[in-house]
Amino acid sequence: MLKVTGLTKRFGGVVAASKVNLEVHEGEILAVIGPNGAGKSTLLNLLSGLVRPDAGRIEFLGQDITHAAPEFRTWKGLGRAFQIVQPFPEMTVRENLMVGALYGKPGTSMPTAQKVVQQVIELTGLAAKADTEAGELTLLEDKRLELARALCTQPRLLLLDEVMAGLRPAEAMEAVELVKQIRASGVTVLFIEHLMPVVRALADRVVVMDYGEVIAAGGYVEVAANARVREAYLGRSA
Amino acid sequence: MILAGVLLLVALVLPGLPLGQWRAFMLDAAQFAFLISGLALAWDLLARTGQLSLAHGAFFGLGAYAAALSAPALGTIPALLLGGATASLSSLLLGLATLRLQGMYFAIATLAFSEVMRTLVLKSQFTGGSIGLPVQPAFAGAYPLGGYYLAVALLIICTLVSLLLSRSRLHYAMAATRQGEAVARVLGVSVVRVKLVTFTISAFLAGLAGGVYAMKTLFLSPYDAFGLGRAVEALVIPIFGGLYTTTGPLLGGLIIVSLETWLRLRIGEGYLVVYGVILVLTILFLPKGLMSLFARQKGARHA
Amino acid sequence: MELLLQTLINGILAAGIYALVASGLALAVGVVGIVNFAHGEFSMIGAFVSYLLFVSAGIDPLISLGLAALVLFSVGAITYYGLIRPVLAAPELNQMLLTFGISVALQNIALLVFGADTRVVSTSYQGSTIALGSISFGVPPFAAFVLSVALLGALYWFLGKTRLGFAVRAVAQNRLAPGLLGIETQQIYLLAFGLSAALAGVAGVMLSVMLYASPTVGFAYTLKAFAIIVMAGLGNLRGVVPAAIILALAEAVVSTYVPGGGGWVEAVFFLVIFVALTWRSWRVR
Repeated sequence: MLKVTGLTKRFGGVVAASKVNLEVHEGEILAVIGPNGAGKSTLLNLLSGLVRPDAGRIEFLGQDITHAAPEFRTWKGLGRAFQIVQPFPEMTVRENLMVGALYGKPGTSMPTAQKVVQQVIELTGLAAKADTEAGELTLLEDKRLELARALCTQPRLLLLDEVMAGLRPAEAMEAVELVKQIRASGVTVLFIEHLMPVVRALADRVVVMDYGEVIAAGGYVEVAANARVREAYLGRSA
Repeated sequence: MILAGVLLLVALVLPGLPLGQWRAFMLDAAQFAFLISGLALAWDLLARTGQLSLAHGAFFGLGAYAAALSAPALGTIPALLLGGATASLSSLLLGLATLRLQGMYFAIATLAFSEVMRTLVLKSQFTGGSIGLPVQPAFAGAYPLGGYYLAVALLIICTLVSLLLSRSRLHYAMAATRQGEAVARVLGVSVVRVKLVTFTISAFLAGLAGGVYAMKTLFLSPYDAFGLGRAVEALVIPIFGGLYTTTGPLLGGLIIVSLETWLRLRIGEGYLVVYGVILVLTILFLPKGLMSLFARQKGARHA
Repeated sequence: MELLLQTLINGILAAGIYALVASGLALAVGVVGIVNFAHGEFSMIGAFVSYLLFVSAGIDPLISLGLAALVLFSVGAITYYGLIRPVLAAPELNQMLLTFGISVALQNIALLVFGADTRVVSTSYQGSTIALGSISFGVPPFAAFVLSVALLGALYWFLGKTRLGFAVRAVAQNRLAPGLLGIETQQIYLLAFGLSAALAGVAGVMLSVMLYASPTVGFAYTLKAFAIIVMAGLGNLRGVVPAAIILALAEAVVSTYVPGGGGWVEAVFFLVIFVALTWRSWRVR
């Protein structure tokens, strides 16, 4: 459903993305991994429209969204959860979610939005804190909120940016289950991750990036055995 | 809320109360308070999207001049509406240009806009230039209390718009835009549209207030209508009273304008000092405004 | 041709004071990180200091310069310590509003104390001019220009060549989160803000001679100073002087060549700010 061709982005002298080719198939969970600075977050920014590419093309559900505004992409079904969570601090959890629910899809009515919000609250376990101000949440709750908010936009493809960062193993496992549930409900997932156990548990396919380029793609085992991948992760002592 | 209702009730019956020799003064002062509070409510609307405008003085002035110039030909109400529309249109243009400016930059750009507007009006012949422009009273003087009730109507309109917006679905978009623009966009909020729509509504109300003001003072000068004083009042009142609420600017407006009027009687020029001092004290000691003192109550919503 | 030359010279001479005031503001904004809307009021106070000293003790403005600098440095330091420091941790909005409030308050207090009349410091050399061929310029503007250049030169020397100046620049480059402010950084902020006020105050003394002292004399300069630093780019201390020259020249040209130019002069600055700001915002994506 998502097809990226030749995507390139330079920031001054740094090439953050170099002729990236990528495909995401409907219903799958795709992991994007790579050492720090490989360009993974830039890729997500390019996909969600916060950054304009210098070259290349992004096609989503058959439509060219390369230069589309972020909100347009969301309306088409491309949702995103950020790595550094930024809740709307002066609104309650429920109100935060309402923003996503009301505006994620054009023409959503209030009652529909409220229903969606309620469903997502239950799915993500935020019921206890639903009416707390978002500025007062713990890190874990923050992350749940971020994920929940993106879900409220009723995405068909959800981009997750290192949502496991900072979670304890038990919490991470819970999160993994949640992502599986999300996929089961019909949402395709593309996620960036550092923790290999999570990648192994979740990913159907893996794409590896380094220095802004895609250097390998395939199943987890296949990619882990790839010499270039190993070198990228381990062989850079100089 | 009840407070707002009481205030409006008092406003409606004021002319009927036995005020003796104070009547003329009180009605005049009350009109002024209504208009400035209305302006403050209008300013607050835009503030809800995170944009702090120093152009509301200009919108007020544009509305005043447009209404004053067109009243003889169009009649009072259409002229007032035209005043509002003129302010709205200019805010649309200003908004389109300054869309991408944040915080301080937006404020300075709006200030620059105001000053350029003032110079334009000052230099134009048809606005009477620096000499000023005489204005017909409301309804050509047919109803002695016409101007007064226009001011009350203006306040009611501003209050209603403020209330309705804070209860509408738009308020989610406005709050999201203010509290995290990039995130809001990714959640599907058309930030540009939200800002522009709010801007034009806010400017329209400010222009309306300006028009009513013109018909009250019967004489317009660029220094008065476009003076920084209006812009200052427009922003200090909501901050003192409580941003993003309706009661805040209302209550704050009442208190501050009363203070201002009293000071104006006592010390003449320089009464604006009250605004400066109140602003400083508010920021230092009560940054969320008066409303924060009442915030414990249920239903205290932040737009 | 002569008119053009004269106009340009007037512009450059005026640029001196503009650069002085703008540099002060650039220090406040760039080092302390505070958008100081009350900056012009420091000039206003300087102008009144000069006026009062002249009228009560016959002290020549040239000497008042030093006194004003000291007075304003103290005023700046006290303002920083009492009013600014508490809001450094607050959102930028609050800081802007605070200084805006201080500006309004100071202007109106001056209005209450001194009334709105303009007070001029009339020294013996007030009206004298220097003539170079067919170009002439007044002694006060020329002296102001020379003094401004000297002061700015000293400022840049201080920033560039002394240890303390280096510390100031370091703080400007890398402002820490307010919660992490160590004692040294706080002292630097105090110094920078005091300097900022002193520079404005000195400019104010010059204004009292060349223009007048009045409650609102500083306000126009605040806005012009903002125009200059916005044009130079925030935090760019070095760009202030060229920007000041450009704006002063533009102002002089408009004043001379545009009919009824007096009123449009203000608008020039604002048009420049407006265009510069919006232009920049649309270029970045």
